[in-house]
Amino acid sequence: MTNLAVQFEGVSKEYPHFKLDDINLILPEGGIMGFIGANGAGKSTTIRILMGLVHQDRGTVRVLGHPMPAEQAAAKLDIGFASEDMRLYKGATLRWHMEFIRSIYPAWDPAYADQLLKRFDLRAEQKVKGLSHGQRVKAALLLILARRPRLLVLDEPTTGLDPVARQEVLGQLMEVLADEDRTIFFSSQNTLDVEQISDQITFIDRGRIVDSGDKESFLERWRRVRLDVPPGVVLPALPGTVAAAGSGRLSVITTSSYDPAMTAAYRDAGATVHAVDTMTLEEIFVAEVLSRREGKVA
Amino acid sequence: MNYPMVKRLILKDWYFLRWAILAYSATGLLAIGLTAMGTDASSYAGSILLITVMIAIGFHLVMVTVVGERSEHTLPFIMSLPISPMEYTTAKIGANLLIFLVPWLTLTTGTVLLLGTEGARSGALIPFSLIILTELLAAYVLVLTVAIVTESQGWTIGVLVLTNLFFQGFLYWVSHLPAIARGMKGRGAVWDQTAVTLLAAEVGISILLIVMAFVLQARKKHFL
Repeated sequence: MTNLAVQFEGVSKEYPHFKLDDINLILPEGGIMGFIGANGAGKSTTIRILMGLVHQDRGTVRVLGHPMPAEQAAAKLDIGFASEDMRLYKGATLRWHMEFIRSIYPAWDPAYADQLLKRFDLRAEQKVKGLSHGQRVKAALLLILARRPRLLVLDEPTTGLDPVARQEVLGQLMEVLADEDRTIFFSSQNTLDVEQISDQITFIDRGRIVDSGDKESFLERWRRVRLDVPPGVVLPALPGTVAAAGSGRLSVITTSSYDPAMTAAYRDAGATVHAVDTMTLEEIFVAEVLSRREGKVA
Repeated sequence: MNYPMVKRLILKDWYFLRWAILAYSATGLLAIGLTAMGTDASSYAGSILLITVMIAIGFHLVMVTVVGERSEHTLPFIMSLPISPMEYTTAKIGANLLIFLVPWLTLTTGTVLLLGTEGARSGALIPFSLIILTELLAAYVLVLTVAIVTESQGWTIGVLVLTNLFFQGFLYWVSHLPAIARGMKGRGAVWDQTAVTLLAAEVGISILLIVMAFVLQARKKHFL
């Protein structure tokens, strides 16, 4: 049986103007989950509950076998956490931070830390206040990677970076991750980032999980079918149809459960299939969220 | 309780404030030196400087170690470490009390020694001075408690202003209490019931505030 690194069961948290509702989530050890949602969707609240820093009103959370928030200190010994709003001490050098973390984590690997310093092109003696935002993100990653955590939790680590710095950080993160077998929970509103790193995807919107599964199945299942629909032809209502748009004879069907039999069904109805297009994760996310908001079940 | 982790966090705050502690202690000693010069002007200037130093240390400590942790966004970094919120609270209270008590004890001891060695007449000011300096300690603990519980710059500054206003009134009130006023005019330190009660109340309130900080933190459900 696969061990679960993260397990949410019926987790809810209510604020005056926001509700995280019935979150069920599993991430097996060794998996890389991309957690995608718009601003205010509930990503950070979910991650704070995962870290034990916000207590859920209902439901259970287990992280690396520890019930949260009760055993958060023990769980955090094996978690590397970085978030968009996390800052290091401006007046201290990166070397001070490395020594500080080394004094806390027995698994700190000094040789690996030095290797990451070179790979991330950082200088240990530089004070944090002199680092650019991209360098600060890399420094934070160095501090969590060199302690060799079993679970990496990254809450929008690339937010605020310019496109070049973002690509640089992601590229280096992927290089590092390629060397090792780690469980990663990665939240972002940037689907491109998630697509590059993750093997599992979860969409969250307005405090609810709207879909979750492995990335390949997402990309396989979702298609956009472009059709020519002559007057008088009525397209069959096929399961999985998320959106139907078009003007005149042209129609575009978005489906979340594509099957080649669909095109045959449209042809049988009298339509001409022009193309069956794959969709990017961003297109899938937008289609999924909009269809949920409009009350259509994907 | 993970005491090694609590100790590391206390040492971390001590490290970031080491030069400030030194500077405040040196300024405080200068204040005692001024008081020791013996003239009315230097005594007055020394007393004012001493009180100012104590208030400044408290303000600086709380704003840097508690409020600053949130406003500078270093709190997520600290809370990502293997600690529980109660251990964090213990570390913050421990670090603040330790750092505050080093200059406070130095300056209080210096003040008592100075007043004690200036002759029997000046020794009469020891109870009054201790009551005043302990009030500054209690006020500091109040500001610290509010800062830890609310993590709000606004609330912390608000309470700080109120404690400073209260201090002015307290100074006037205590110096006009018949028992204290009589003691100050006498020879040598007089520890009557009024002086002891006031001191005990200040220490008791300080302890109660610390307990309250723990109780309120234990009931919190959000730490970021």
